[in-house]
Formats: sequence, structure tokens, C-alpha cells
Amino acid sequence: MWRLLSKHISKVQLAGFALANLVGLAIVILAVQFYLDVRPVFNDEESFISKDYLVITRSVTTAGAMLGDSNSFSDADIAALEQQSWCRSVGRFENSDFGISATLGLGSGGRSMRSQFFFESIPDEFIDVDGAAWDFDPAHPVVPVIVSRDYLSLYNLGFATTRGMPQISEGQAGMIPIQFTFDGAGRHETMQGRIVGFSTRLNTVIVPLTFMRWANERYGSGQPSAPVRLIVEVSKPGDMAIEQYMDEHHYDVAGDKMAASKANYFLVVIIGIVITVGIIISALAFFVLMLSIYLLLQKNARKLHDLLLLGFSPAEVSRPYEVLVVAVNVVVLVLAIVLMLVARSFYMDMVHAFGVSGSSVLAAVAAGFVLMAIITVGNIIAIRRRVAALW
Amino acid sequence: MQKIELINTLPAVFAGADVHSEVWHCHVTLERGRRYLVTAESGTGKSSMCSYIYGHRRDYSGTIAFDGADVRGLTIEQWCEVRRRHIAYLPQEMRLFAELTVLENIALKNSLTGHKTRPEVEQMLDMLGIADKANSLVGKLSIGQQQRVAVVRTLCQPCDFFLLDEPVSHLDEHNNRMVAQLVMEEAQRQGAGIIATSVGNHLAMDVDHILKL
Repeated sequence: MWRLLSKHISKVQLAGFALANLVGLAIVILAVQFYLDVRPVFNDEESFISKDYLVITRSVTTAGAMLGDSNSFSDADIAALEQQSWCRSVGRFENSDFGISATLGLGSGGRSMRSQFFFESIPDEFIDVDGAAWDFDPAHPVVPVIVSRDYLSLYNLGFATTRGMPQISEGQAGMIPIQFTFDGAGRHETMQGRIVGFSTRLNTVIVPLTFMRWANERYGSGQPSAPVRLIVEVSKPGDMAIEQYMDEHHYDVAGDKMAASKANYFLVVIIGIVITVGIIISALAFFVLMLSIYLLLQKNARKLHDLLLLGFSPAEVSRPYEVLVVAVNVVVLVLAIVLMLVARSFYMDMVHAFGVSGSSVLAAVAAGFVLMAIITVGNIIAIRRRVAALW
Repeated sequence: MQKIELINTLPAVFAGADVHSEVWHCHVTLERGRRYLVTAESGTGKSSMCSYIYGHRRDYSGTIAFDGADVRGLTIEQWCEVRRRHIAYLPQEMRLFAELTVLENIALKNSLTGHKTRPEVEQMLDMLGIADKANSLVGKLSIGQQQRVAVVRTLCQPCDFFLLDEPVSHLDEHNNRMVAQLVMEEAQRQGAGIIATSVGNHLAMDVDHILKL
């Protein structure tokens, strides 16, 4: 039967379809893969605070400062923020309400460094650190802190080199003995501290909320203070509405969060456009194949009809064409995946240079499978309907 | 299938015409195991009748029934079954595939039914004098030779009725007798009925009924 029905198959049309679909499919899966590989560059997942978080403060204006305007956030401000569609949750920074000084012991020579200090706290769900180390127990008082990575750089590059002090790595920093001295409410007490991590994004010194509440009660004035900084978890980073809202309310977003978010946003938009183009090419290829098959069925209509007269069922008569379509589509899918892997090997060097290892290719391959499955099922349905119409 | 009935059947093109026929607008029962000759003049709807019974045309009024069941109710699957197991049809225009060889044409039908072995097919070709053409392309054969190939193909299936539309129109007397012999033997073996049409050159067999279309 194959010999009979393959008579009018146009190799040129089939090759045209295969090529067009190969291009479309390769673009789609390459775009998906590229997005997955490159996203971590814009989204620094190694930092404790991922890109979905923004740290905001009120803008300090000269006039405002002179007039004694408060630069803290009121409950109403926070409630308004929480009602924005892009806002998932808001965390308040709590400040230490007492005097703190820290003594860092450096090296065995007994050299040490003493400095005035301050603490801030945010709710645990905004911090991505090990729960075990991030705790405070008044019975065994050791204060864990997360410090801005900038402080370490400042010490290593600006201080240690000029003063002949030893440079310290992040790993060593955890072992540096720190003594905190707290003054307030008539008390003067000393406690051990330990650096448990560094944050690229949080430009401050963070202690556990449990410690902050305990210490404020013990050393503080007892006056609850309104937060001056907020951490906001946003659902759509890079959303223009966020920037607009921040501008309208004169809120500052710390660091390059908005810029990174915007870059990520444009990455999503561009990848979306590329995927759409790929899908359009695939859809056009689908119609090329459909036309080609319709033409083939038209040319073979008499033969197909005669086969039906012999007692072949429409399904049996359709099968050779279905096998043809499935075979062509499988070849196209395999080639598209190969093409994607080759193209990926070219840009992966660049991605590695950003210190990102790239993601698994499974998702892109799965996307290719799904797209190809849809195309194949569409082809088969069209063939069956066409043959059934001959009955 | 024991019987085929044509009840008040009339081709749509004859609607309103004054038809004198022993088939159209009558109640005709064709029974399994019996032989029928449907004689007709050209243009009286002989091939149409075969097409209606075989289910590939439906432009008629009245009813055609297999064992009492109206064929209009048959599904595609049931029609396929009819064409594979119950009615062996030889169309007037034969409907062979010119680009396939004689054996390939026959094998197409036989692959559906598995009814005849290769030696049996070759023996039938031999009886009809075309054994030497077994591997020739059908398109290269004469009409008479093609008609014999089509007969052999029709015999390659189990059936309750042979429906032969002018099966020997292009054959000489000798080949006519050989075809008749083959068809009768096969029909007898299966207890099948034979419905043959003719515009003049009748299949050389004794018949139980002659119906004038």
C-alpha cells in the first residue's frame, strides 16, 4: 500500500516543511533554554535576598530634614503598600534602641578593633539562611549577625591593606571573635557575636528578630519606633507600576534592584517575542505540511477511494500518511534539539563568565516535545478528516 | 448475511420517470446460495444498483436491507466488514491499480482477508491464462487481461454474495467459461450467492433468476 500511496509525495514540499518547522522549533526551544540559562545572571540567587525583594526608604529631602519631617513609615503607608497588586508581603526593619559597640579580635597578636555599631532586624521569612544558626537564646547568649558584603570589602581593601592588618575571607569571618557591648536602661553588658553570613543586597547589619525584641526590651527606652526601612516582596519585578508607585510616594529603592529587575523584565519580554516568532514559523510550517498533504491526498483521491472499496478502513488508508508525518516530525524534533545544543555551546562560555552554571536542558526539550506533539496531532486529525471525507 | 432486499428502491435520477423494471420500484429479495442474472440495457442503472448495494453511493430512494436491516444505518466499520467478509464486488471499471503488478493488486485484497494462498492465486491466474503476467504492471495489460485479474482479486475473500458488474464484458467465450467456473466453484465452496449483471455478454452459468432492470 505504501508503494501505491507514496507515488505523489513531493520531496521538495516535505523538505520545505521540515526545514521551516526545524527553524521554528529550534528558535522556540533555544529561546526557552537561553532564558533558563541566562535568568540567574539577572537574578542573583546566591544572595540572601533574591531579586523579588526590594528594600525601600523614604527619600530624605533637605527641606523635610530641616522641618523635622519623620522619614519613617506609618501603619497607613504600609497598609497602602500591601494593597498594591504587585506586593506580596511587606516586612519592617526594626532598629536597635540602645547603644552598641563591637570589638573585633584580629589575629593572635592581641590586636583588636573597636567601633560603634547598630543593628537591624527583619522577619525571618525575608532571610534565606540556615534556621539553626539564625536563632538567639538568652540562656546561651551568642548573637548571630548577617553583615553586608560591602563591609568586608571595605575592611579588606581599604583598611587591612593600609594598616598592615590580615585580610579575611568570608569563611574566616565566621571565626572572628566579636564582642558586643550593649548600653542602655542602666545596663552595661557584653555578649559574644558571630558572623553567620554576608549579604550582597542588604546594606546593613542584620540580627535575628528574636534577639532584637529581647534586647530592645532589656536595654531600650521601651518606646516602639516606626520603621524607617521596609523590605517588600514583589510578584512582578520590573513592573512599571512599582517604579511609578515608588516615585509618587517619594520612596527610594536601595541598590540596583530596580535596574536588575528591569533588565530581567526586558529579558522576559524579548524572549517572549522570540518564542512567539518561533511559534509563528512553526505554525506556518504546519500549514505548509497540511497543504502538501492535502495536495497529496487530492492526487491520490481515486486510489484512496478504491482502497476503501476494497474494504480498507479510513484509518488503515490514513496510516501511511500518518507514519510519514510522525517520522518527519520526529526527525525535525531531534534535529531541533541538536541545533539547540550546538547553539547553546556557543553562548554558554559567556554565561559561565557571569559565574552561572546554566540550567538543565530538560525543560526546553519538553517544550519541543509538547510543541511537536501538538503539530503532529493536528496533522493526524487533518489527514483523518480528509480521508473520512472520501468515504 | 442471508439475504439482500431492495424495497421500492429507485435511483434519484429516475425519480418521477416512468420506470418499467423488475428491480426498481419493486420488492426484490436476493438470497444467499442462489444465482441471479440482472440483465439491462445501457443506462438503466445497473452499476448504480451495484454501488447502492456495496454502499459507496446513496443517491436512491426506497430501502436496501441486509437481513432486514436498512443499510443506511450501517457504520463505516460495519461497511468495511461487509466489504471484507460478506460481499465480494467486481466493479465494471475494475478499479485495479495500474502502477502495481498483477500479484501486488491481488495481494492488497488478500492481505485484508487472508483468504487465498499464493499457490492458489497463481493457480487461478493460470486457469485464466495470465500466469505469465503475474509480475507485470497492470497498466501494461489489455482490458481483457485486466478483467481477469479483477476476477481473481474478487475471489480472494470470504463472502455471502458475489456482486459482479459485467464480469465478462471484455472476455472471449473460453475465458468467460473459465471465469464462470472459478466463480461457481468458489460460491459453492462458501455457499455464497451470485449476482451478475450483463448488457449482453452473460456470464456462462446456469442461473436461478433473471431480473430485467
